[in-house]
Amino acid sequence: MTALLQTLTSLRHRPGRAFLTALGTALGIGTIVALLAVSAGATQTAGTFVHLGRSDLGLFQKDAADPTTSVLSTTLITRLRRQRWVSDAMGLQLLVEQVHQDPGAIVFGADAGSFETNRMVFSAGHMYTGPDQIVVGDALAPQLHTRVGDLLTVGHRRMRVVGIFHIGVSEQDSGAFIPLATAQAISGHVDEVTSIVVKIAPGTRLSTAEQRIATEFPGLLVISDPDEALRAGANGQLIAKMTLVIVVLALLIGGIGVMNTMLMSVIERRTEFALLSAVGWSGPQVAGLVLSEGLVVSVLGAALGVLIGWVGAGVLIHVLGAQAFVSPDVTAWVLGRALLIGILIGVLGGIYPAWRAAHLSPARALAQG
Amino acid sequence: MPGARVVAEGVSRAYDGADVLHEVSFAVAPGELVALTGPSGSGKTTLLQLIGSLDRPTRGRILVDEFDVGELRHPAAFRRATVGFVFQLHYLLPALSAAQNVELGMAAAHVPRRERRERSRALLVAVGLGDRAGDLPSELSGGERQRVAIARALANRPPLILADEPTGALDSEASRQVWKLLSDLSAGNGTTVIIASHDLTLSEHADRSLHLVDGRLTDPLAAPEDPARGTPVQDPTP
Repeated sequence: MTALLQTLTSLRHRPGRAFLTALGTALGIGTIVALLAVSAGATQTAGTFVHLGRSDLGLFQKDAADPTTSVLSTTLITRLRRQRWVSDAMGLQLLVEQVHQDPGAIVFGADAGSFETNRMVFSAGHMYTGPDQIVVGDALAPQLHTRVGDLLTVGHRRMRVVGIFHIGVSEQDSGAFIPLATAQAISGHVDEVTSIVVKIAPGTRLSTAEQRIATEFPGLLVISDPDEALRAGANGQLIAKMTLVIVVLALLIGGIGVMNTMLMSVIERRTEFALLSAVGWSGPQVAGLVLSEGLVVSVLGAALGVLIGWVGAGVLIHVLGAQAFVSPDVTAWVLGRALLIGILIGVLGGIYPAWRAAHLSPARALAQG
Repeated sequence: MPGARVVAEGVSRAYDGADVLHEVSFAVAPGELVALTGPSGSGKTTLLQLIGSLDRPTRGRILVDEFDVGELRHPAAFRRATVGFVFQLHYLLPALSAAQNVELGMAAAHVPRRERRERSRALLVAVGLGDRAGDLPSELSGGERQRVAIARALANRPPLILADEPTGALDSEASRQVWKLLSDLSAGNGTTVIIASHDLTLSEHADRSLHLVDGRLTDPLAAPEDPARGTPVQDPTP
């Protein structure tokens, strides 16, 4: 208790230095939290695209910047349907930032009667039957203050709302569906789709289907797991790599910052450590005191960093222009990793100063006053 | 606890090739109050640090009871159990209260918190500061700080107290109180007390004086009566 009190009071007596060190750690941790949250959000969104309509596989163009910029030819759909191991396949065109009243809403272009649209349950109206009709998710409709019979503008096209649906997937219930041909016309990708979703035939193993697609349909990226979905986008890969780089940088810079602060503290307080040694504190006990101070500073920094990262994730998504289809996902795992990195920074930064304090010559330190 | 026996046998300490202590030999019996006198720079502080295992002799050896303090594997454990230090500058930690400062050595010895609290209060009462337990060092006078430092030195009930110029920064009244505390300790508890001071007049209060000049003892009576006593070089500390 006395040791803990000593730790806290010594930090309280140097609030400026402790705060600046914690702030340095916080910026590193904040960046990590923001990147991890964006990465997790992108994975969640990509996972939604993969399993739209309870499909088994999602096919994307290899090396697309992100899942929404993938472009695939519709002829692939016909070819896929001919395969014995495929139960059904359908094209999907995604339109982002095209609903003027709510740029964040995603518009899905899909044929009526496909396995995807068949899952819709309508609370008002019905499925679209014409090219200029749109059905709106029951989460988006109240935001747009729209009802059946109203007009919505998608891209430059005025479309009549003919139904309000619920499907049970938040990205879809917060978006809208229009006929595939209309979506292709709005995007300028006639005879092309963003993604092809595939249901494999009963009795066919998922891994077999993935191998067949890889060999018979080169140029396609096959995603069956939401965690893999992030691979569909170069942006996702970039974020993942950036996160790793920032983690390493945060450990280095944060660790050096904590080390510098603790070293200065050890030099300034050598008399204090010598006194502790004189009254019987062992080397490990003195080292533990220094380490715990470093840990407290870095964990406080990590806590502050989590807050910065939470806000920063939203800013980062805005800067990347991805707010239409990615929401930051600050999960317990993201927070746990951030705190773990904070603890690592404290330990790494505190080891050398702790060693110095533990090996201080009490006679010399007391003689120097 | 009875006081510790201290025996120095041909102790020298050199820094950068220059002897600060030269062939110093003496013996202090358990419960003795010994004044270590001499001018500034005569080696008093160095000798106390060697006795207290804060430093190691270049040559010779110092025995405190059965321990050869220059050969200890765990000097901190020895200091915790055997030695209480009082310095000229009190070295109280400014962020801790008087009672918390007294508890520092007990915390290192893993004394339970409740016992630490009770013992620190009792010690502060003993040094006349029972009502100042919660005060920070900055709220105490110089004499009061030194009395807290004495209470801290006594916290683990050591058989040996080493005081280095404990009255050096105090006025005469405060000095008198500190000397009385230390002499009462020796007389009442049988604790061995060695006090270094450049003030020769204070040695009147001691049982005996050792006088150092230029790192050498000038008093021939300081030599150990029985230097061959025992072969206590084992280090039984954990």
